[in-house]
Amino acid sequence: MKLGSSRRGFLAGSLGVGGAAAVSRFGWAQGAARQGGTLVVAADSEPRNLNPAIIASNGVFYVASKVIEPLAEQSYDGDGLAPRLATAWSGAADGKSVRFTLRQGVTWHDGKPFTSADVAFSALDVWRKLQNLGRVVFKDLEAVETPDASTAIFRFAKPTPAQLIQNALPSLTAVLPKHLYEGTDINANPANTRLVGTGPFRFVEHRPGQFYRLERNAAYWDAGKPHLDAIVYRVLPDPGAVAAAIEANEIQLAAFSAVPLADLARIGKVPGVVVVTKGYEGITYQLTVEINHRRKELADMRVRRAIAHAIDRKFVIDTIFLGYAKPAAGPVPAFDTRFYTPDVATPGFSTRDAERLLDEAGYRRGGDGMRFRLRLLPAPFFEQTRQFGDYLRQALRAVGIDAEVVRNDTPGHLKAVYTDHNFDLAVGSPVYRNDPAISTTILYQSGLPAGVPFANQYGYADAEVDALIAKAAATIDGAERARVYRDFQKRVGEQQPIIHVAEFSFISVARDRLRNVANNPRWTTSNWADTWLAS
Amino acid sequence: MRAVLRRFATGGGIAGTVLFALVVLAALLAAVIAPGDPMAMAGRPLIQPFSDWRFPLGTDRLGRDVLAELLHGARATLIVSGAAALVTLLVGITIGTLAGFIGGRLDDALMRLADAFQSVPTFILALAFVSIAGPSLASVVTAVSLGAWTAPARVLRAEILSLRRREFVDAYRVLGMPPLQIAFREVLPNALPPVITLAAVIVANAILVEAALSFLGLGNPNSVTWGAMIAEGRAVIRSAPYLSAIPGVAVVVTVLAVNLIGDAANEAIHARRVQVP
Repeated sequence: MKLGSSRRGFLAGSLGVGGAAAVSRFGWAQGAARQGGTLVVAADSEPRNLNPAIIASNGVFYVASKVIEPLAEQSYDGDGLAPRLATAWSGAADGKSVRFTLRQGVTWHDGKPFTSADVAFSALDVWRKLQNLGRVVFKDLEAVETPDASTAIFRFAKPTPAQLIQNALPSLTAVLPKHLYEGTDINANPANTRLVGTGPFRFVEHRPGQFYRLERNAAYWDAGKPHLDAIVYRVLPDPGAVAAAIEANEIQLAAFSAVPLADLARIGKVPGVVVVTKGYEGITYQLTVEINHRRKELADMRVRRAIAHAIDRKFVIDTIFLGYAKPAAGPVPAFDTRFYTPDVATPGFSTRDAERLLDEAGYRRGGDGMRFRLRLLPAPFFEQTRQFGDYLRQALRAVGIDAEVVRNDTPGHLKAVYTDHNFDLAVGSPVYRNDPAISTTILYQSGLPAGVPFANQYGYADAEVDALIAKAAATIDGAERARVYRDFQKRVGEQQPIIHVAEFSFISVARDRLRNVANNPRWTTSNWADTWLAS
Repeated sequence: MRAVLRRFATGGGIAGTVLFALVVLAALLAAVIAPGDPMAMAGRPLIQPFSDWRFPLGTDRLGRDVLAELLHGARATLIVSGAAALVTLLVGITIGTLAGFIGGRLDDALMRLADAFQSVPTFILALAFVSIAGPSLASVVTAVSLGAWTAPARVLRAEILSLRRREFVDAYRVLGMPPLQIAFREVLPNALPPVITLAAVIVANAILVEAALSFLGLGNPNSVTWGAMIAEGRAVIRSAPYLSAIPGVAVVVTVLAVNLIGDAANEAIHARRVQVP
């Protein structure tokens, strides 16, 4: 995609501010962490099932990641991973096994020791069978061998890239206590709401509609941590109330863009309040236009490219996201340099090119100035997906496509797009989770049954794309695998089966006395063991 | 009739009529004053009102002309609330007349039905209907009418009950006129005045319900409505309060105008009835 140099400079500048704030805070953190204090944060939803091993979603992780830990966490340093319950891991050359060395001297919150049996149980009975994302990544997991209490060897039926397993560790591998779950109905286990884990905080209480309370785990394996005595999640569904609470210092953190983007410039000037744009790279959302390829006009690549040409990404980012987003070129965000390639023929903004392609495809403007009509379903997930729907309608009218906006609530939208295929265009917001194979390639792969949400329900089937996805899934060598994914990006960049418009993530608003904020790429959904409150 | 008009021409009646006429004029002239698509992104986003002569009332978050949205919104609001009031009155009048004139089991059945509708708050009923049927002009009109038809039906039934034993009704019966013809052609016109004053309340209520539905995102997303404008402006209420305030004032003015007209009409008609028993 072509971008003006001023645009690039602007973005670099806007992100630099957040980065600088976070770096200066690392500086204070050195050796100066204060023990104690209760951190109060805003929560906007109360998931019914809090078990992160079953429901790998940010709403669940926000609370549960402090209590139940994964094998490893994402990191800004080194190879991108920091050890948690596993201290080392290595994949076999044939891709059929991965060996984990587990941390010793770890105990569950109820006092029982943590062993490799817990990992084996979680992997085989929970991640592989019940977890929304694990069902894809661990589908070929055959057995987990536990030669001793601190070693777990994952055996796969088919070669599975160790790189994929490694990239899946932060989000997909929350370890559950076997002694509480074995032999029970895992989905209905009371420990799904009263969590028991190995993490730095113990789950104490949930009062529906009011708060969650977590307290310090004095027996945490990382001696001296956590720094906080307790974390309280105050349920505050109204964005206005969240902004007021943080201004009044009643809460110290509003994560997941709980403060509306339009309010950030104002609240950032309030003394004692900082706006943090870092700490969400590991959960990058993508604003996309989903296309129903069953529609004859949209099955034509020229029409899809014309639609992509009609979208002014600069306008979308400056006006809808108020600068808190980046233009997207394809299915892999630029943040993930291991897989990303800029060498993609993404159509840039040009209404002239759009009109030319539509004319070439044989859809000339009719008497009313319109070429054809479409139904456009903006996802109701974010304010920005709804607003982009309004924008897209206008952008399409400018090139002679009459789009009618159809609004639904979340269940209605999911049913219309992913089960009934009752749409022409939809605005979506898929999440990129650290590896294209976790939740990205499934948007392109053909032959999936109807009703699987956030997957290819678009009627798109391209033999070359399917072949590339299959090839990457069986490629053990990391560098080679990345190369296959670069070819994949080139192919879908040309075909535009889904149009990627922007990459966005969340913004945190925090009090400046909260330290060690945003020090890993999925900070809000990490364990906060090193987070502390200055007096 | 002239006496009724004279009594109507009080301060409130005139003010209401003038304000309402302005709103109607705005709706009629929307395409002349602000030609083109009111949802087009015409300029820089968030231009303050009265700062750029091309956008006298400023622009919203996506750079749409607020004046154009307001004028076209007037049109949408009047069409929806007018249609809703019309449907409400037609349904209410038909049911009220049938129940009042025919009586017996039909009366019981229709009035229990009205009880059932009245026992659910009007807005909840509208909300439920639009969430199921999906937002469109027809569904919003139906949703508003669903909760409102009972009021004219009950008022009319009471009027008809007091008229159906009068001598002129018996006279028509003796002449051999079919009962439904008597009911709708001869009795109904005599029972209408109180319902006409009720019409103003129905229109005002329809405007409010429609605005509330669009505020909650259940209006027709392809046309501009005042409720949707207020909702859009809510995200930036601390930095650009005019985005919510301008359509808010428009709703207030319109509802006030309709209510003033309704009050004046009520007094005018009521006075006549007291004078001529």
